[in-house]
Amino acid sequence: MMRRRAFLAASAGGLVALIGVAACSRIPVIPRRPDPDVSTAFGWIAHRDGRFTLTLPRAEMGQNIATALKQVACTELGAEWDQVEVVLHATDMPRVKATVGSESVMLFAEPLAQACAALRDALAAGQKAGQVRVRARSVSELRAFRSGGLIGVSPEIVHARGIVTGAPLFAADIRLPGMLYGRVLRAPASVELQSRPLRWDLDAARAVPGFVAVIEDCGLPIGRAQGLGIVAARPGALDAIADALQVAWDVVGPHTRSDIARAIDVDARLGASALPHKVLNGSPEAGPWDVDLRLDIPMAAHGPIEPRAAVALWREGALQVWAGTQDAFYIRDFLADAFRLSAGAVTVQSCRIGGAFGGKTICTVEAEAAALTRATGSPVKVQWTRAQEFALGFHRPPSSHRVRARIAQGRITDWDHAQMSAHILFTAAVVPSWMQRGTDVFAGDGGVARGMAAPYVLGRARAAYDMVRLPVHTGPWRGLGAGPNALAIESAIEEAARVAGADPLAFRLAHVADPLLAAVLERVGEIAAWGGPSASPARGLRLGRGIACGSYKDTSHAAAVADVAVDARGRVQLTRLWCVHDCGLVINPDQVRAQCEGNLVWSLGMVLTDDLPTEAGHVTAQTFADAPIPRMTDVPPITVDLIQSDRPPQGAGETAMVAGSGAIANAIRAATGHRAVRFPVRPEDFAT
Amino acid sequence: MRFILNGQGQDVPAIWADEPLLFLLREHFGLTGTKFGCGVGICGACTIILDGIATRACMIRSSDVAGLSVRTIEGLANGESLHPVQQAWLDLAVPQCGYCQAGQIMAAVALLEETPAPSADEIDAAMDRNLCRCGTYPRIRAAIARAAENA
Repeated sequence: MMRRRAFLAASAGGLVALIGVAACSRIPVIPRRPDPDVSTAFGWIAHRDGRFTLTLPRAEMGQNIATALKQVACTELGAEWDQVEVVLHATDMPRVKATVGSESVMLFAEPLAQACAALRDALAAGQKAGQVRVRARSVSELRAFRSGGLIGVSPEIVHARGIVTGAPLFAADIRLPGMLYGRVLRAPASVELQSRPLRWDLDAARAVPGFVAVIEDCGLPIGRAQGLGIVAARPGALDAIADALQVAWDVVGPHTRSDIARAIDVDARLGASALPHKVLNGSPEAGPWDVDLRLDIPMAAHGPIEPRAAVALWREGALQVWAGTQDAFYIRDFLADAFRLSAGAVTVQSCRIGGAFGGKTICTVEAEAAALTRATGSPVKVQWTRAQEFALGFHRPPSSHRVRARIAQGRITDWDHAQMSAHILFTAAVVPSWMQRGTDVFAGDGGVARGMAAPYVLGRARAAYDMVRLPVHTGPWRGLGAGPNALAIESAIEEAARVAGADPLAFRLAHVADPLLAAVLERVGEIAAWGGPSASPARGLRLGRGIACGSYKDTSHAAAVADVAVDARGRVQLTRLWCVHDCGLVINPDQVRAQCEGNLVWSLGMVLTDDLPTEAGHVTAQTFADAPIPRMTDVPPITVDLIQSDRPPQGAGETAMVAGSGAIANAIRAATGHRAVRFPVRPEDFAT
Repeated sequence: MRFILNGQGQDVPAIWADEPLLFLLREHFGLTGTKFGCGVGICGACTIILDGIATRACMIRSSDVAGLSVRTIEGLANGESLHPVQQAWLDLAVPQCGYCQAGQIMAAVALLEETPAPSADEIDAAMDRNLCRCGTYPRIRAAIARAAENA
């Protein structure tokens, strides 16, 4: 089958450049993120014939928030578990903010509970139909905010039966009659460089069985990379079509900051001028430092096992999209703007996400599917290849840190943490450079800053940062800056304790400001038998134990202890991990534990595996072999202990990250005598 | 071109013969439990059991399964009665996002059919090629041990 646009594609390459140039000057659609209140809870819960439907106001991506919010709903409604059905939201309900920042229980449990309480009262009063007016009551009147019943227990996870039986839950599992399979090819170059397809071999592509069309008008660029769409009758044909086309790309380059390591070299940056963005405002005294560390943490991919996917259907002027996204409403707004539609003409249905970790917050594959379905008139499924995930997604920015401390009488008297990184909240994947120049001056970047204010009393303490736009897009990654910042801070605190000749646990306790953080620190010392007799080293292995702690967004706290064994060749094996976690009232302890376990595996990854190789300003990683993630044999037995608390519930999805990586790095220090300063660690750094 | 799919004889249509088995299963037969994760056999999300052996469905041509038996995640349960591995996954709340778990479960089933009472090291060795970014590895280990006990 030969489509009209595909025919034009062979002779009208020049038009694409015009579309690309016009698109570059557009004001982007910026995500709107209103906090929920009782009025927005309208439509989340409904009743019919003795059964309830909970329309989940969050994206479900493995934090298993569907289960926690169902526990809240059942408790407040007084309903049995099987009486409440959970459905994932589409954009035909009032806007809810993106599922980011470990906020779902913290911000959404109460409005949901309020709505459920009002519905319960209305049903008790005999109301059978219509809408229920929600009168906000005090939290102390809500059943879901105290332990008991379904609060504080762990029922079967929503969707778990579907997951273990292979039910279709994810965007790529959608199948529609007449559906085709699409991909948008883009230049193998930095997405910050203007690029476009120059010429291609349409005849060779046409000869591939399953070929349907080449689509030139395939939507907005990603960054400045204008694509070339291909459509096939079967997904396996896409690789062969892409190969056969042999697209020649016009790339306007090179990028001025293609040497990424140089662009984020904190020492070079400090040599130029003071860092503009202050997190701690103290003025350390001049003079020699007792601790002076330079740490380098590289770019890292999110690496969800699900490459992002979308299915789009264009029918009678309306666009329907199924997507695994953290922000269905942003996708809706983006598509409406891109295709000149009213918001009402676009519906985005959330699907369960196969891992997101902050990376599935932008509109990419959804716009590609929409453009290809518009061009072909058939429903189109697009799932990125693994290589596209690496090349076209945004990533944890690389950062370099200079951390200095001065110690007198066993206390830190002066502290100076300087960081150079790339944008996170004002990600280049959404915010064009002309707009970033404004946010750079007026707002800094709270994502880079996150966790940079160490949770300790540090005397005259300064912390400051700057960021630079890189040729590879950077943005939110689990914990934002908190993971890298905590790794840098906890490495320096450990060295300070050594200078002071103090026990690392006691030294931290002497400096922590928040009693809740002190409590998790003391508790992890107890469960890990900190200070007890150390294990006798096995032949050829150096053993070490490390500790670290931290707070996430000031309100949830974690401490961790790690044991490592390092062999003569310098290979590091984690042998044990303990973590104590305080996130306030716990709705579902088993799933909070699961989040802690995941965070600890990510901590392990930060130290041992995570790296995204680039060359000349673009990602060269094609597979998980090039950008590895932790494997089962990397992961030791893990013990997680939760603090019982009646504080309001806080975030649990990113907290243990701030303790785990420091504990592991400090354990390696204890085992080998060497401070890890470049990550991921390499065996040659610790070989004997 | 016939093969056995979850116990039933099926045809591989000629136009699907050169497609990876993964896409034949997902898009032609609608068995979408088996997932695309990397396309090059590294991540294990597409693990199925081919004549008793855990196999990457993204690396096998559909025509190459002619005469062989393919089992997928959809074929494990017996009606409402879950396979012991599936049940252990539920009992220990293994899944976070769940995307890799069909592949993990199929790898675990193949392991237990070959080695009904695996040691901790045997579990690690068999499962080390199935990646999970959420970090459910400790629970996968525990669930396999649980399933081995309950089988």
